[in-house]
Amino acid sequence: MSDVPPQRTGYQEVQDSEEFQALRARFRRFVFPLTGLFLVWYFLYVALSAYAPDFMSTEVIGKVNIGLIIGLLQFVSTFAITMAYARWADKNFDPTADKLREHIERGEVK
Amino acid sequence: MSAWIAVLVVCAATLGVGALGLRLSRTTSDFYVASRMVSPRWNASAIGGEYISGASFLGVAGLIFATGSDMLWYSIGYTAGYVVLLALVAAPLRRSGAYTLPDFAEIRLRSAAVRRTTAVLVVGIGWLYLLPQFVGAGLALRTATGAPGWVGTAIAVLVVVANVTAGGMRSVTFVQAFQYWLKLTAIALPIVLLLIVWHHDGAPSPAAVAGEAWVSPLSGDGDDHPLYRTYSLLLALLFGTMGLPHVLVRLYTNPDGQAARRTVLTVIALLGTFYLFPPLYAALGRVYAGDLLNSADSNDAMMLLLPGRMLGEPWGDLAAALLTAGAFAAFLSTSSGLTVSVAGVLSQDLLRGRWRASVSGFRVGAGLAVLVPATLSLLGVRTGLADTVTLAFALAASTFCPLLVLGIWWRGLTRTGALAGLITGGLLASVAVALTVSGAVEGGWPAALLGQPAAWTMPVAFAVMVGVSLATPRFRTPGVGTIMVRLHAPESLDLNRGDS
Repeated sequence: MSDVPPQRTGYQEVQDSEEFQALRARFRRFVFPLTGLFLVWYFLYVALSAYAPDFMSTEVIGKVNIGLIIGLLQFVSTFAITMAYARWADKNFDPTADKLREHIERGEVK
Repeated sequence: MSAWIAVLVVCAATLGVGALGLRLSRTTSDFYVASRMVSPRWNASAIGGEYISGASFLGVAGLIFATGSDMLWYSIGYTAGYVVLLALVAAPLRRSGAYTLPDFAEIRLRSAAVRRTTAVLVVGIGWLYLLPQFVGAGLALRTATGAPGWVGTAIAVLVVVANVTAGGMRSVTFVQAFQYWLKLTAIALPIVLLLIVWHHDGAPSPAAVAGEAWVSPLSGDGDDHPLYRTYSLLLALLFGTMGLPHVLVRLYTNPDGQAARRTVLTVIALLGTFYLFPPLYAALGRVYAGDLLNSADSNDAMMLLLPGRMLGEPWGDLAAALLTAGAFAAFLSTSSGLTVSVAGVLSQDLLRGRWRASVSGFRVGAGLAVLVPATLSLLGVRTGLADTVTLAFALAASTFCPLLVLGIWWRGLTRTGALAGLITGGLLASVAVALTVSGAVEGGWPAALLGQPAAWTMPVAFAVMVGVSLATPRFRTPGVGTIMVRLHAPESLDLNRGDS
């Protein structure tokens, strides 16, 4: 770290601070499971189509079967997941990040 | 005749607005500043306009038509790639201050070798993505007007080169936003007429005409390994989107993280709406145009031929002209975006001497960017449009996805590890692409594994990157902690992040 100019030692403090670590952990705890869930849901649909064709072709209303409904739900769920992420980031992530910023600016990073 | 007029109007409008854009703004930064004044909704339309390529405009319907409902995955995958991009890489990448993938490689790993490898990969992915656009332009014009295949390709190439070298197209977000709505109109209006006719005919079911196998997913032809192909395709689309050169740069057109999230949300709604239509064309094609099921060419052209078969004059002609115009708008907007990205990387990272990072270098780069795919398509390379696009996604997923995900989330990534992973993933995926495009492998597992390589090339690339990084800890980037703060600290934080 000897090549880092003195005015940028702020980075080091931030990196070491509990608050920054907590922020990153918080992000990871939300985003990684969300991504995992999202992938499982997609892959589950493919698996159901392959191994449970009878279930998928159960007709619900007229010619509309479960497979078709879940298929359309994929579009809806893609949108819903993104919305959930955007909401979460607005409500939880941004305020925490702002608080961290205030603390850093007041020199209260711990 | 009406198809000719439609294509010429689209080309003239593109060139005209490009020329207007040239007067309005001259530099790349003008473009970004202009975008910052645009609301997320307009910005999202612009992203949609650039992202929905001509190959997917025609190709997705063609593929579903030919192969059956398995291919609905294309519709979903093209859309959902944006979610993975948003969740895993968008915010840290914005904060890094990198505008291109080579920029990111340099900031994160401080290595000229990794930077150059990334640049070569950007060019390769760009070429692979441009090829089906040019092939498709020729195909669309030939189908609609009977002109020889090279005419449409030549028109598309000339318009794109004229636009990009003049610097117009990209400077106006509004044009690309307009092109999204043009494409949506072009695909949505004819289907209304077609559905009325279909209903009038007593709503014949595609299953009755095409057989149950077409409707039931993953039924396959026994030998085809549909389950593997579907999973691999999904992986390529979900994880490849983040590595497409023209997609990434668009994330910078928002003023802050919140606006960026709004934009992505709108993009997903817009793409989802658009991709609901190709399956409808495919299903109607099965009912009314089953005889076209011969080659990749006629599958991809099915959408343009369908109105003529279902509607009498003049409606059939007008609907086909509208679809051709939409397809052409899609070829032009995506090719322009890709050419700009590839030309930028070529002139910054790969050209030498006076061509390096200069305006003339950018123009030379633009020429080189279109030269290879244009030559290939004029020489008569023919593959399914959506198939080739998928290979570009697979290449991106096997190289840039591990680089971005590990680079952003794992401080242990070293430059040797990154280099080894990029080269392994890039070579494996390229060999698979070359063998598939050349048609050397037919049937069975080899064809499935090479035709949809992402499911094995992506994990291999990840494993090599992690393994080699663990084995070479002394090549960790000096000051990696600082870089990590820069990537993950809140954007509004007043830290020096732009000029290392």
